[in-house]
Amino acid sequence: MKAAHRHALVVALLWVALTIIGEILLIRYNPFPVAAAEEAEVIDHAFRVLMHMAVPVFAFVVVVLLYVALRFRARGGVAGDGPPIYTHGAGVAAWFLATSALTIAITVYPGITDLLELRRREAQPPEVLVRVEGMRWAWQVTYPQYGVTTLEEMVLPVGKRVRFEVTSRDTDVVHAFWVPAFRVKIDAVPGLVTYTTAVPTKVGSFHENSAFRIQCAEMCGLRHAYMVMPVRVVPEEEFKAWLALQRQRR
Amino acid sequence: MARPAAPASVAVFWSAFGPLVKGLLWGGIGFGVGAGLMAGVRAAVGLKAWAMEPLLVVGYVFGLVGWLLGVGMWDVWVREWFGLPVKADVPRDWRRYFRFCTDHKVIGVQYLVTFTVVLLLGGLLGLLMRLELMAPGRTVMGPDVYNQIMSLHGILLIAMAVVLIIGGFGNFVLPLQIGAGEVAFPRVNALSYWIVPPVAVLLLTSPLMGGFDTGWTAYPPLALVNASGQVPFLLAFITIGLSSILGGLNFLTTVITLRARGMTWSRIPIFTWSVFAASMIALTVTQFVAFALLMVLLDRVAGTSFFKATFGGKPLLYQHIFWFYSHPAVYIMILPAFGIILEIVSPFARKPLFAYRWVVTAFLAIVGISFIVWAHHLYTSGMSPALHIPFMVTTEIISIPTGAVFLAGLGTLWLGHLRMATPLLFVLGYFFNFLIGGITGIFLADVPTDIHLQDTYFVVGHFHYTMMGAQIFAFLAAVYYWFPKITGRMLSERLGRLHFWWLLITYNLTFLPMFWAGVHGMTRRTADYPAELAGVNMYITVMAFLLAASFVVFVVNVVYSWVRGKVATDNPWDARTLEWATSSPPPPGNFRGVPVVVGGPYDYGVPGAPRHAVIGVAGGAEDTPRPAA
Repeated sequence: MKAAHRHALVVALLWVALTIIGEILLIRYNPFPVAAAEEAEVIDHAFRVLMHMAVPVFAFVVVVLLYVALRFRARGGVAGDGPPIYTHGAGVAAWFLATSALTIAITVYPGITDLLELRRREAQPPEVLVRVEGMRWAWQVTYPQYGVTTLEEMVLPVGKRVRFEVTSRDTDVVHAFWVPAFRVKIDAVPGLVTYTTAVPTKVGSFHENSAFRIQCAEMCGLRHAYMVMPVRVVPEEEFKAWLALQRQRR
Repeated sequence: MARPAAPASVAVFWSAFGPLVKGLLWGGIGFGVGAGLMAGVRAAVGLKAWAMEPLLVVGYVFGLVGWLLGVGMWDVWVREWFGLPVKADVPRDWRRYFRFCTDHKVIGVQYLVTFTVVLLLGGLLGLLMRLELMAPGRTVMGPDVYNQIMSLHGILLIAMAVVLIIGGFGNFVLPLQIGAGEVAFPRVNALSYWIVPPVAVLLLTSPLMGGFDTGWTAYPPLALVNASGQVPFLLAFITIGLSSILGGLNFLTTVITLRARGMTWSRIPIFTWSVFAASMIALTVTQFVAFALLMVLLDRVAGTSFFKATFGGKPLLYQHIFWFYSHPAVYIMILPAFGIILEIVSPFARKPLFAYRWVVTAFLAIVGISFIVWAHHLYTSGMSPALHIPFMVTTEIISIPTGAVFLAGLGTLWLGHLRMATPLLFVLGYFFNFLIGGITGIFLADVPTDIHLQDTYFVVGHFHYTMMGAQIFAFLAAVYYWFPKITGRMLSERLGRLHFWWLLITYNLTFLPMFWAGVHGMTRRTADYPAELAGVNMYITVMAFLLAASFVVFVVNVVYSWVRGKVATDNPWDARTLEWATSSPPPPGNFRGVPVVVGGPYDYGVPGAPRHAVIGVAGGAEDTPRPAA
């Protein structure tokens, strides 16, 4: 067996081993904050698939780097030159085939498939409509179906499809509507109404978990960091009661 | 002994700093004339004469011209137009670095030193940011100061990233590598450096006008309604864009027209190719960001309404034009880094550069594809969802030619005889960091995951991995590699290794947790965060300070070695490319004869391969000994 082939075989074995270890560790690792909407599950799925696909790539480069650094280091002063290899037709072809195939694969799955999954959900008729207006430096949410407007907190019923229509006043600046627990984000742009949807799946509130918040994610000036509105996801009866209370208080 | 007469020291001062003093003076006069003119025009048309922003803009334009004329363009260049003899004689000592000198090696050093200082300054601002983010709530500064420091950190380091390698090593090394005595337009080259100091003045005086708090992207309408400090920011960005365009033009023309005999396109060293490719981008798209910023400027000072929604303007339009430059711009930053890595890997692995032609093809493919990926910055901007899939596809595709850099690098290392000197260590560190930068980029190119990750610390982690982890590691590899050529002295290998390991470890410990923080709800450009994220932020802050300390080793090494380092031979790394075929540092005119290229640049270990080039002297042949200096 030629030395070059032996090196390649050792690297391949190390690569497989490191990949298996990496994948096993990854299965046991949860990198996410609370996922409290159907959309969060889709996005976390895409994230997880990409991580699993990244493991062999990461393992390959790390194994090769460590192997060459330890095994091909010239020892004891200046050694001679390496072998005069300009290129390797089959190796290069295999590299481009593999990287192209991987690129196409991740673009299609989870990229396009999960995006279409989000679109499919978005296209379903919403049950609750929430108009969100960003202003420096606060959020105003309006429930046009119920005639309620508030600057204090966004309350949503669990299990209902909510459509957020997001904007910013013509005289204001660009903000971004982001609820980390739902994983959804869309800019609030002056002169434009943007939208996104979410189906909350877990009851929860800002006071228990900061992922339940509307956080401005686009730099908007002085109090950008504090442009936060608490989010509370509640059972439907509680939502109705909250709406009634809001109407009373007006 | 009596002290030398005072006038002598004045003369020395004047001979060294005269051009700078004259530039400042003429610049000041120009500013006054411009501002006065604007005030007069305003008064004439019935407006209030005093209005800071319009006066500042016109004053700056005149002041910039005055500065450039005063600092040397008048003496070296414009006198000619009036039939006067030019005064272009330059002292051969340290004083040449303080004047309008047209020697590409001087300009290279000017860029390197200036932007290394910018790099360190930007890093210090980063430390201030980490200090505020050490704990939730207010720690050392209010959000107003934080936002300004964050924005200044951003623009200083973006400017540094665009200019440092291409302006520094591009200028110093590229003409040497192609066997040229100069760049194609030496005076334009000096101009593109001397246009930079006004940028520094603008950015550093901006806080006096309330600073700017938009980050480096300056999205309107925020950039239209914030403090007047935004105006110097806009002027500074446009000015450095001009410098970048001129630099790109110069490098392209130089490579096309000034290659030595025998330097065919397939013998051009890979670093020169990378600068060539980056220059194509700099020359062709920098205008777009200048237009975008000019439109913001006009909205502020001239009453236009490109981006004012109240008057039918479109804030989203800015983001498209801005990123139409600013995404390709990341390849202006990273392509020369690719070039450095592959330039160094071959002589240190003692093997030919693997798949050279594929790498050149990949560079050009990156240039082409870089123009059609910009909207991946806009997935959550409210642009038409119809654009999501096309831009996701183009963005993923650009990872194929980028991967070719790994192919060539790992392919060259494979079976090599690695000389583990500091430059190669930084190359290996680069591959590790860029691997993480590249992989995390996939999560941001992918629309579903980017919806969550956009504008979070995940993005901060990602671009610091590509810019600092990759580009700065490549820059440092290049410093350790070319320092002997530039200064004639070797850097300390021991301090170099210490710097490498210290930096590699603290770098990863600082930036890796940022991905986690981003996923867990920490936004980018934020002066504060929820209490749940206190632990990870305290940890990042501590690591950031340890990381910064590693640069003390670097600075000590550079300063000490520049003065006291071991004297370098002409070719300390036993490398083949042309910059090593002349003295360290190279003489005026670069070579003692006419370089003729007769072989490939990376034929290490190839039996019977001819040299890359021979330096022909009058009547001499390949092995004619070089005449004594």
